Amino acid sequence: MKKVVVHPERCVGCMQCMIACATAHSQTKNLFSATLEDPLPRPRVHVGAGLYGEGFPNRCRHCDPAPCMFACLPGAIYRDWETDTVLIDPDKCINCASCAMACPFGVIRYHEDASAPLKKTVAVKCDNCLERQNQGLIPACVEVCKSRALTFEDPSDAMKRKTNEVAQSLSSDTSRIEIAPGFTLLNTIKRTQVELKIEN
Amino acid sequence: MSKAYEKNTITEDGQLLLKKAERDQIETVWDRYEAQLPQCGYCEMGLSCRVCVMGPCRVDPFGEGPQKGVCGADGDIIVARNLCRMIAAGAAAHSDHGRDLVEVLAEVAEGRAPGYEIKDMEKLKRVAAEYNIETEGKDPLKIAGELAHAMQEDFGTRKKELTLVKTAPEKRQELWKKIGVMPRGIDREISETMHRTHMGVDNGWQSLLLHGIRNALSDGWGGSMIATEVSDILFGTPAPKLTAANVGVLKEDQVNIVVHGHNPVVSEMIMLACQSPEMLKLAEEKGAKGINLAGVCCTGNELLMRHGVPMAGNHLVSELVLTTGAVEMMIVDYQCIMPSMGDVAACYHTRMISTSDKARFPGMTHREFHPDNARELAKELVTAAIENFENRGEVYIPVEPVNAIGGFSVETIVAALGGTPQPLIDAIAAGKIRGAVGVVGCNNPKIKHDYGHVTLTKRLIENDILVVDTGCAAIANAKAGFKVADAIEFAGPGLKEICGSLGIPPVLHMGSCVDNARILVLASALAKAMKTDISDLPLAAAAPEWYSEKAVSIGVYTVASGVYTVLGPMPPITGSMNVVRLLTDGLNDVVGAAFGVEPDPEKAAVLIRRHIEEKRENLGLPFMKL
Repeated sequence: MKKVVVHPERCVGCMQCMIACATAHSQTKNLFSATLEDPLPRPRVHVGAGLYGEGFPNRCRHCDPAPCMFACLPGAIYRDWETDTVLIDPDKCINCASCAMACPFGVIRYHEDASAPLKKTVAVKCDNCLERQNQGLIPACVEVCKSRALTFEDPSDAMKRKTNEVAQSLSSDTSRIEIAPGFTLLNTIKRTQVELKIEN
Repeated sequence: MSKAYEKNTITEDGQLLLKKAERDQIETVWDRYEAQLPQCGYCEMGLSCRVCVMGPCRVDPFGEGPQKGVCGADGDIIVARNLCRMIAAGAAAHSDHGRDLVEVLAEVAEGRAPGYEIKDMEKLKRVAAEYNIETEGKDPLKIAGELAHAMQEDFGTRKKELTLVKTAPEKRQELWKKIGVMPRGIDREISETMHRTHMGVDNGWQSLLLHGIRNALSDGWGGSMIATEVSDILFGTPAPKLTAANVGVLKEDQVNIVVHGHNPVVSEMIMLACQSPEMLKLAEEKGAKGINLAGVCCTGNELLMRHGVPMAGNHLVSELVLTTGAVEMMIVDYQCIMPSMGDVAACYHTRMISTSDKARFPGMTHREFHPDNARELAKELVTAAIENFENRGEVYIPVEPVNAIGGFSVETIVAALGGTPQPLIDAIAAGKIRGAVGVVGCNNPKIKHDYGHVTLTKRLIENDILVVDTGCAAIANAKAGFKVADAIEFAGPGLKEICGSLGIPPVLHMGSCVDNARILVLASALAKAMKTDISDLPLAAAAPEWYSEKAVSIGVYTVASGVYTVLGPMPPITGSMNVVRLLTDGLNDVVGAAFGVEPDPEKAAVLIRRHIEEKRENLGLPFMKL
């Protein structure tokens, strides 16, 4: 089954996934009109900053077993077995934050949402863009990611690619080929800048 | 002291005021930087393009996603176009500043600028002679009028080349002609950059960058140089003056007025008003012991150079200066003034005044300065500042100021050497001074505030390399105590001996960021005296904490003038390794100098020392292998 796979080494930190996610979960599905909606749509994916200011797209892993699901006393969190997606029923959610305490990844947020009853604050997280998938579209974050830090594929395909990359990097007769020397250069500079702040 | 404050700045006043800012719930540039992390990698690499509306586009640096914009431009073209636009913006900023001064000069000639006058007659005549204006027996105001007119022509397109490029060494001029980068008109080159970078015009990344060089030269040897020369004519050529730096220059018992920005046209008039007996009397009536004028950023440097007006801080502390609660009024003109300043001032009694018809800011009162109203308006503003003294709340000035000497124009340096650059050349030839380096540029929250400037400068002078500095770097070095005669203690034995005998500090304050033109003039004078090109000399430049488009233009014209230049932060070019290789290596074969990038000032010092020793070896001077 295809899933959203994160490749952190390719994240350039542009945050376009966040904008696309918020738009995909808006009422109008259009960036410009979405910014005028009430409640304002918010992203389910969050780009964090690493030690050296590098990006990382943090999204729900749809764990199995899912700690959030066990922590949810009203039973608002459930698994859609067909798509292997952990979902939250906004009608049942009591905004108790138990799921956030249980979540090892910090991907749950609490706010009003177009999918919830009016003026009700509920737990919100990634729903794998099931609405889009039903229309034959791929998840919005993947569609917008041009550096392939987010892909929508069978995880075993992604792992096979990674296996080959690792294998190639360990080949005895080839030196390691940089896939993007400029990006490595940029990150070297950024790392130096931060290390200087900490060390001196 | 909390670790966070120490992480952001090496300065004591900065650390203490950051703590105060946190207590006062003031958001600073460092908070906003943290909030921006991670910054967009496409933009950091120069791979995002907003030039047209078929886009915006970005190129995937990993090679799997899109490799071309909608128009077909690849990473090389997009990076080169973006860089050229940065150069154009920087050149425009310096040159428009120069234009404003030329306009004041023209108004002075017409007698329509009360308060302004010709202060340096000798320089007026000398610069007029460069423009082939007859000065013998002519009324100075007439000379000024003709000079202003001739300079205005340099901005337009009526000539084949700018006038002041002929002050460069002949070999350099020939090189510029040969590779086709001789600047023809200041506005023309900027305009041509905007044309070339439009969709579907210049799509050769090399030819784009070559024009970028021409555009930057039109700044260094055009707009910036005109700005410096006309400032000297109108306000006097700087000579060494005792001054002081850091936030401790603010005075608890006086009315504090701070000028921030770049152009001396406004700050000079404010200074005159601050000194007038009428204003001083009013201040006394309001319970203040006097009127204390201080500077932030380069308009402060302009006043420091000519009058010894003290400097409250550089770019990154401009917000913190207001958190002292001691500033009655801050008067700004343009460039590098953070739009957040009004928000910070709103938490204190400080009144914020914007003065330029081309620069407005939220939370500031706009009082526009023009040559005809400047003198009167300055008095009005100073009066308002004095009347604001009684509204002061808690005042926190946590440090004592550090003494410094400023005001080293080329004229002064040559005069100190006995009228010719020869003694300096002799000292370099003997190896007592290994070479000279311009440490210039801004602050940037990506580098610990002042750490880059101060560390690099310290390493250079202790290795017998003379440092000249401008802009925010110059303020950093003043705060670090490198600019008093006793600072020779920080210098190596050779530099210590030479500076000691001349009674000068080992770090010479040469002015504001447009005054980098002074450094060009000095390098040119050395090259001419040695009958060679600038690129042969044991010189280098560094911008350890640069942030602005102006700095890009400065860097490019410095390299194009033949000076190896080491940048701290990486410019947005890593999306094209072709551009990276050209700028850091290939340019050596084009203009005899190239860029280096090294955020660690300890390592930058080694790069620079190595470069200087190589140049010494090539000149047949005693050298060291590093």
